[in-house]
Amino acid sequence: MSSSPAIEVHELIRYFAGGVKALDGVTFTVEQGEVFGYLGRNGAGKSTTVRILTTLLRPTSGTAMVLGHDVVSAPGAVRKVFGAALQDAALDELMTGREHLEMAARLAGLGKAGSVERAAELLESFGLRVAADRIAAGYSGGMRRRLDVAMAMVRRPDVLFLDEPTTGLDPQGRRAVWDLVRDLRDTGSTVFLTTQYLAEADELSGRVAVVHEGRIAAIGTSQELKARLGTTTVRVRVANDGDEGRIRAAVAPDAVDPYGERWLEITVGGGEAAVPAVIGRVVGAGAQVDRLSIHPPSLEDVFVGLTGTQIEASAGGSDNGKITAVRRGLGVPTGPGR
Amino acid sequence: MSLFGQLRLLLFRSLREGGRNPVLAYALPIIIPLAVLVLVAKTLYRVTDLPGFPTDNYAEWMTPAIIMLTAMTGVGYAATSLVIDIQSGFLDRLRLLDVRPPALLLSRVLFDVVRVVPAGAVLLVAGLLLGTDLNEGVVGVVALFGLLVLWAAAYGGLYFVVALTTRNAQAPLALAPLFLPLQFLSTQFVPRSLLPGWVQGVSAWNPFTYMVDASRAMTTGPLTLAPVAKAVAVALVMLVVTQGLSLRAYKRAVGGS
Repeated sequence: MSSSPAIEVHELIRYFAGGVKALDGVTFTVEQGEVFGYLGRNGAGKSTTVRILTTLLRPTSGTAMVLGHDVVSAPGAVRKVFGAALQDAALDELMTGREHLEMAARLAGLGKAGSVERAAELLESFGLRVAADRIAAGYSGGMRRRLDVAMAMVRRPDVLFLDEPTTGLDPQGRRAVWDLVRDLRDTGSTVFLTTQYLAEADELSGRVAVVHEGRIAAIGTSQELKARLGTTTVRVRVANDGDEGRIRAAVAPDAVDPYGERWLEITVGGGEAAVPAVIGRVVGAGAQVDRLSIHPPSLEDVFVGLTGTQIEASAGGSDNGKITAVRRGLGVPTGPGR
Repeated sequence: MSLFGQLRLLLFRSLREGGRNPVLAYALPIIIPLAVLVLVAKTLYRVTDLPGFPTDNYAEWMTPAIIMLTAMTGVGYAATSLVIDIQSGFLDRLRLLDVRPPALLLSRVLFDVVRVVPAGAVLLVAGLLLGTDLNEGVVGVVALFGLLVLWAAAYGGLYFVVALTTRNAQAPLALAPLFLPLQFLSTQFVPRSLLPGWVQGVSAWNPFTYMVDASRAMTTGPLTLAPVAKAVAVALVMLVVTQGLSLRAYKRAVGGS
């Protein structure tokens, strides 16, 4: 394997017909052995990035390299080093699991005997041995996804692209995919993982990039992003009505918001390090506090902060990159978290 | 993997799938032609009483044309499968494995070709049972099946163009009844001399006319070069044009790479 970065993307731009900017100048590098999370809302440009990196789509401009091979000028060389499970398990309904894998292996040049062997190996390690000779039309969502990822692994790729691998899976199916990614991480493979599940990125990825409206809104480890862009909150419940004012007075008044049922939510400026001081002030406020919980920033807060709260994907850019105090609509306090 | 190796693997895939969907893949090309042959032979046989009709067995007149018709009634299966591959993303998977477009298209075309052979055989047997004479013997029958598969590939090409241009798996289905007007505007039912003047004119532009005329030359005879050469030329031109257009539409359908 070369010493080039696993993935190197520079000023990648892709416009579609009608002037839709799917990617509007994306730059990032993924080192070999990284599990890189690529986050974004629906339509943010995740799949466009993956389709360009996997040579299925040409960029309008900019460069993209996989292990030092340019996706535009050397697509054949690129295809030999990566495996990909693209959005929606791409299966042939009338082919069995074994036939899928054997065909992929034959096309990858493994020869007849080698293909039979590789298919059996993959069926075993992806928990598809029992279903191997049933046609894919009868597979569950989890089985389809596992077969799809198994097909991506036929060539023993150095770089694996997983485009929303757990969308639509049940928790067991999700865990199986997570275990697979962890195994790959442990064996030194590079994994490029797109997802909209923040917990997934938090769980699996070393670094994450948040893509929003075709641009990288933030990039770093999940810890870095949370420290830089997230807010820690402390929630307290006063025992007696009317004591809220004391807390408000003891802490900075504009950092305190009512949270219903005698709960207050305090936004802690300065990250987690400032939490003890805030609690000290709460305790010293003279109000009887009967519950208290600390909420470290979540990657989801960071994500929503970067990509906006509106439900429909925005066509403009009114809240582009602006970090606002985002309240998750939990409604009812969940009590002490930790 | 070589282009030929890819082609063989993909053709095998299609054949295996056809076996899992035998009604659509293999029975459909048979049903309508068989019904037409039997019904027409049993209801319209008096057509042969018309002055100038070249034979007194209407089934014999119809059989060669009906064998050519099998290429047109079950058509579109391969084109539809290809669109489904595009929609499901399976085609992307094949592209990532360096499958070349000609291998992909040709494997589907060949599948359409293979499907008409059993259909043609069934109709030939039905024709024989209805009293058709094979005056040109084995040579004629071999030539007949050669023309049948060529015509299947050429006519099927039309459906690839439609399927890949619209990227709609249902489009080939919508175009399926095209065989109806093509039948009536050809020499399938009666000799050219008995067609109304305007239909005679139109039939000269209908490729199916040339298949019908050549197929008759190959079965009831006489087997001469002119009708065969014309039919082969028409089918080859159609094949090259439709496959050229398909390849272009395919490249557009799979996107900018």
